[in-house]
This record gives sequence, C-alpha cells and structure tokens, in this order.
Amino acid sequence: MKNNSKRHCLSTMIRQQNIRIIYLVTLILLVLFIVLPIVNVLGLTFFGVGFSENFKELNNDLLSLLFKSSLLALSVAFFSTISGVILGFILYKTNVKYRNFFKLLILIPLFISPYILAIAWKDLSFFVFNSIEYDIYKKYSYFAIILVHSTIYIPLSILIIGSSMTNISKQLEESALLMTDFPNVFFKILIPLIKPAILSSFVLIFIFSISEFSVPSYFGIRVYTTEIFTQFSAFYNHGLAVLQSVLLIVLCMILLLSEKKHISESTFLSVGTKGKEAKIYDSNRLNIIGFWIMITVVFIMICLPVIVLILHSFVDGLDEFVKAFNLLLPSFGNSILLALLGAVCTVVIGFVAAYYSVRYNQNTIDRILLFTFAIPSIILGIALIKFYNKPYLNFIYSGLGIIILGYIGKYSFISAKIIRNSLKQIPKSMEDAAKIQGVGYIKRILKIVIPLIFPAIYAAFIINFLFCLGDLGTTIMVYPPGTEIMPIKVFTIMANAPDSLTSSMALIVFIFTILLISILFYTFKKILTEYNVNY
Amino acid sequence: MSIIKLNNITHSYSNAMILNNLFLEFEKNKVTYILGESGSGKTTILRLIAGLEIPQKGSIFINNRIVTKGETIIVQPEKREIGFIFQDLALWPHFTVYENIAFGLKQRGKKHIEETVFEILEFFGLTDYSKKFPHQMSGGQQQMIAIARALVLKPTILLMDEPLASLDVKSKRKILKFISLLMKKYNLTIIYVTHDHREALKYADNIAVINKGILQESGSVEQIKNSKNEFVKYFLEY
Repeated sequence: MKNNSKRHCLSTMIRQQNIRIIYLVTLILLVLFIVLPIVNVLGLTFFGVGFSENFKELNNDLLSLLFKSSLLALSVAFFSTISGVILGFILYKTNVKYRNFFKLLILIPLFISPYILAIAWKDLSFFVFNSIEYDIYKKYSYFAIILVHSTIYIPLSILIIGSSMTNISKQLEESALLMTDFPNVFFKILIPLIKPAILSSFVLIFIFSISEFSVPSYFGIRVYTTEIFTQFSAFYNHGLAVLQSVLLIVLCMILLLSEKKHISESTFLSVGTKGKEAKIYDSNRLNIIGFWIMITVVFIMICLPVIVLILHSFVDGLDEFVKAFNLLLPSFGNSILLALLGAVCTVVIGFVAAYYSVRYNQNTIDRILLFTFAIPSIILGIALIKFYNKPYLNFIYSGLGIIILGYIGKYSFISAKIIRNSLKQIPKSMEDAAKIQGVGYIKRILKIVIPLIFPAIYAAFIINFLFCLGDLGTTIMVYPPGTEIMPIKVFTIMANAPDSLTSSMALIVFIFTILLISILFYTFKKILTEYNVNY
Repeated sequence: MSIIKLNNITHSYSNAMILNNLFLEFEKNKVTYILGESGSGKTTILRLIAGLEIPQKGSIFINNRIVTKGETIIVQPEKREIGFIFQDLALWPHFTVYENIAFGLKQRGKKHIEETVFEILEFFGLTDYSKKFPHQMSGGQQQMIAIARALVLKPTILLMDEPLASLDVKSKRKILKFISLLMKKYNLTIIYVTHDHREALKYADNIAVINKGILQESGSVEQIKNSKNEFVKYFLEY
C-alpha cells in the first residue's frame, strides 16, 4: 500500500514536470538564442574597449536628433491614434455599408513594407511638382514621414481600438443614452472605457515610428535610427551604434513599462470569440458619413499610392517593369520560405507563452517577448550579428537561422497576444472535463485547446507571415550575403536605380503581397465560416 | 458508510481563504447536496474531490483510499472513478454529440465504443442527435449530453456543480427526477452543489451547509431542517 502510494506520488511529480518542461525548454531556448545576444551586446558596449570614446559622442547634437525623432514619432502616434478612434468607431460601432470589406482593406498598409509607400508618395510629389527640387523635397519630407508612418500605423490603431470597442457591453452605452445625447455618450462613456486601448495604441505606434528607419532614410532625413544605422553600416562603429541604441531602448522601455498594464491587457485582435454584445449605432446619417469617410481614407491610403506607383512604373514604357520583375524573381521563393518559417516559429512560441500565462500564470516568456518586441529592430539585428559572428556559430550566422531568430524576437509577442485573447475565452472546464476522462496533457492541448482556438492561431500565423514577409528593420541587419530577399532587394537597389525601376519593384512587391494576403484571408474566411457553423 | 472523506482540508487562492480546516464525509449511494452562498467554497470542494485542485493542507479519501495528501495528488483525476458535470457543462463545441461521449472511451482504449455510446444515447433518448453539435441542441438536451458523457465511463461518484442553474423550473424538475433514476441504475453516489435550498430539501438524502469556507452543519434533511445553527436557520429561511 505504502509502495503504491509512493509510486503514485512519483508519477504525479513526473506529470507535473512534463507540464513544466515545455515551458522551461522554450524559456531556455529563448534566453540562449535571443536574450543572451542582447545582453552580450550591451555588456560589450558598456564594459568593452572604446566605451569612454563612444560615450563622448553622445553629445548635444545626438540628443537634439533624438528630440527631433521623438517629435516626429509623437506626431505620428497622435495622428494615427486619433484616426484610429474615428475609423475604429465607424468600422466597429456603425452599420456602414461594406464595413467588413473596409475592415479588411484598411489592414493592407500594415502589411506593406513602409518603404513601398514612401516610394509611392515620393512619386506623387514628382507628379505634383513635376521635378524633385531639393528644397521643396526637403521641406515636405518631414510631412511625408508623418504621412507614410501614419498610413502604416493607422490600421494597427484601428485593430487595437476597434476590438476594445466591441468588448464594451452595449448596456453601458444604452443606459447612458437614456440620460444624454450621443456626443456625450461618446466622449463621457465610450472614450473613457476604451482609454487603455487608446494609450496602448499611442505608445506602441510611438515606439514603432521612432524605431523605423527605412522611410526617413529613403526621404534622406537624418533621424536617430538612421544615425545608428550609419554608425553601424557605414562607419562600422558597432560600439557607438549600440550605445546610441541604449538611449532609444531606455526611452521605449520607460514608455512600455508605464503603460505595461494597459498594453498587456489590450485586446489587439479578438478572433473566433463571441464576446459581449456590442452597441451598434445604426443611423442613416452616421452610416452615410461613415461610408464617405471610409471611401476617402481608402483612396488616400491605398488607391492613390497604387495609382501613382502604376503611373510611375510605366512612365518609361514596359522595359523597367520587366527588368524589375526579373530582378525580384529569385527572391520570391526565399521570401515566402522565410516568412513561413518565421510565422510557424512565432506562432509556436506565442502559443506556449499564451497558454502558460493564461492557465498557469507563468509570465516570464511573456515578459521576454514584450522586451524583445520593444527593442528597435536595428538593435536586435546588431545584437544577433555580434553574438553569432563566430566560427562555431557560423551555421546560424551564415544561414537563414539568424533571420528567423530576428523574426522570433520581433513578432512572437504579437502571436502571443492574439492567441492569449482567444485562450482567455475558453473555459478551463473544457480541459478539466477531458482531464477527468483520462486525456493526457499533450492530447488535451492537441485535441481540445488547439481546435478550440484554431481561428486565432491561424490569424496569428497570417499576421506574422505578412510581417515577416515585409520585414526590413531586422532583416537588413542580419541577412547573409548572397541571400535574395524581397524587401532587401528593393531597399538596396532604390538608392542608385532610376525612379521608374524603383517604382516598378515597389509595385511588384505590393501586388505580390496583396496576392498572398488575398489567398491567406480567403482561407481564413473559410476556416471562420466552418468554425461558426460548428459552434 | 462513507465513500468520500475530507480530512482537515485548508485551501486558498492567492491570499483568499476558501476552505478552512474542513472535515466532511459523504455517504455511499446517497445524494448529498452542498448548500451555501456564492463564493462559500462549494465548487472548490467538488474540484478537490475530483483532483482538479490541490489543497494546501489535509487529505482526501475515496473508498478508504487516500487520493490527495497535503499538496500531493496521489491518485490522478481519471483514476478516481468520478464523473463531473460542470456549471457550464464544458461540452466540447468542436465535437459532435457522439464524439463528445466517445472521446473519453477512446482515450481509455475501451472496446465496442460505438455500441457503448449508442446504448447510453438510447437510454437518454438522444440517438437521433448523435451527429449534431452541442450548440444545435436545447439547454435541457445539452444537460443530458453532459450527464451521458460523465456516465459513459461508469463512475461510482457523480459530482454536479450547479449544472441546472440556467434551466427553467419544468426542465429542471424533469432532469432531477431522471438523475434519481440514474442513481439507482448506476449505483451512484451524487454530490450536488447548489445555492437553492428548496431544491436541496426536496431531492437530497443528506445536506452539508457551508459558509465562508467553514462547514456549518451536515446531516440528513431532517437534521438540517431542525438545525440550531444560526447561519443554517437564516439560509433556509431566506
């Protein structure tokens, strides 16, 4: 009897260890492959040779550059978040015609590499001013950065704010509507209720914008990230580049930590869950105004850049377009393969982080992912290069592995967020019921948990696939020489190539991305339909 | 004769004490209702018996065998011969009625699964619904599937966590009568959690009244009715 009980105790311990082992293995791999390189590069910078010389370089000029970049990022965050509130309301709280179509359409800029839109807007200025005079160009470039960045980040703001709006029980608004008029309900009830989402959107967009360098670089404007990039790639002064980056990391971390609670709880995207019944403001006037606002926004954000790219691509005939296609052709396969691997890895890690956070309150991986997400891509890239550029780690450094690690560091947080939101909607009793019936831990995950949250897993896969496909920030730092990758090909060629060739390449990348988005969203819609039928 | 014994159980979530030095026994082949207000620890008792929660202190015996000792689960939930009907029923929405019932049998490597499933479906009058998904059925039918799913594994103890709370009075009455039939057919011991004292007084053999994690009184329906305990008197009057 006593022996029996000992055996039972042992088997229980093994079981509990099995549960923890997946988490521990993921945690250890994440720390070894991503956190360690970051810590290593910071250590080398602060305790390595040349620190005092580099430290002197952190002068007023650099600080004023950081201030200028912050102002730019603030403008983008402000404009994008305000737009996110307005457009989020139209898309999620009114019955505007074709709203589901608009919801999908408005996401496109988020998945297009920022430099594509930068090329389009530069082309537009070419048409407007007929030639690109340096003074005019310079004068409008700041505005252009804000415009391009806002175009990219408004969809993110809509996603965060819109899903927060749908999570507000309609009774809260209806009870207020019995007492006061709509503007009061909007400003005094709805806006305060979605304040966490508004703050999250603002902080995240600020961080994204201040970390992005391809657009300022394309417009030839010196900002903080282009300075880091110059130090790294032109002067090979890695120590100074990292030291400069530290200021940026500190700024981003302060902002993230101040809003940590809101950011970790904001929904981002709710997939496949019914949630609370949201209030829909179904008035004819509102629907008509909303419809025309959406038409205008879609025209400015998507149609206009595409039209301009098309016109500019064919300004010298078909030749440049064909040339661009031939240049890009070898990179299509590589880009898809990398994006696929990146999406799979980020979804797996995101699932582990989300599952253990929701079910076992284990948040270490979650925190690590938030940290690596907050670190500007350029710094993550430097960290990975510095760490893996060793003979015995060459198999990672010279292959696709280093790019995948960059994707994992950058995008796993997003998949963890999406999966976490969905997991939180699945009652624990679903798993408990299986446990009582003797279903083992792995089988419970495979047969109960994953099927129940599959739409969210697939959504996370699509989103991260598209992010990886268009990623420039990390990829440009770490890609092994000779590897043909779509965004790199365009970015490296655009400085020296004729404008029509650059536009053609941008147009081809755009069409290619749209094609992939259409395929992925079509399959996603089919999955959602199937799940709605089954539920 | 008692089939389940909770011995000096203390359990808390974070810093909130849920159960405090609880001693409680459940008689074999009887229906015992656990009565108490929301948050009094009723559901936790069921989860502890099932092995879904680990107490901070105390031990749990089922059929004179120790199943939980302190913070160690000695007998895993699936080996306790227990059926559990959750408050939200926990029917797997991506499985059909048939798959919901067959799932546990498959995991345990049982033979003649199809026969066994249809036998129980027939008993519950649900044969025609085998290919339907839970959301395509009424609330009452969903309760039946949950009960069938729990009973198909032939448990000796059935734990019910207010599964009928969302039903109308008529359906509730029908299912409760059905449960007492099942009890005889399957030789079951039933532990039923509710805050509805009228239902408890009508259908229970024994009742245990809990308040803020402390057992106030337990015994037969008559004993509870005549209890001198202030809380029990207040709770039954309410």
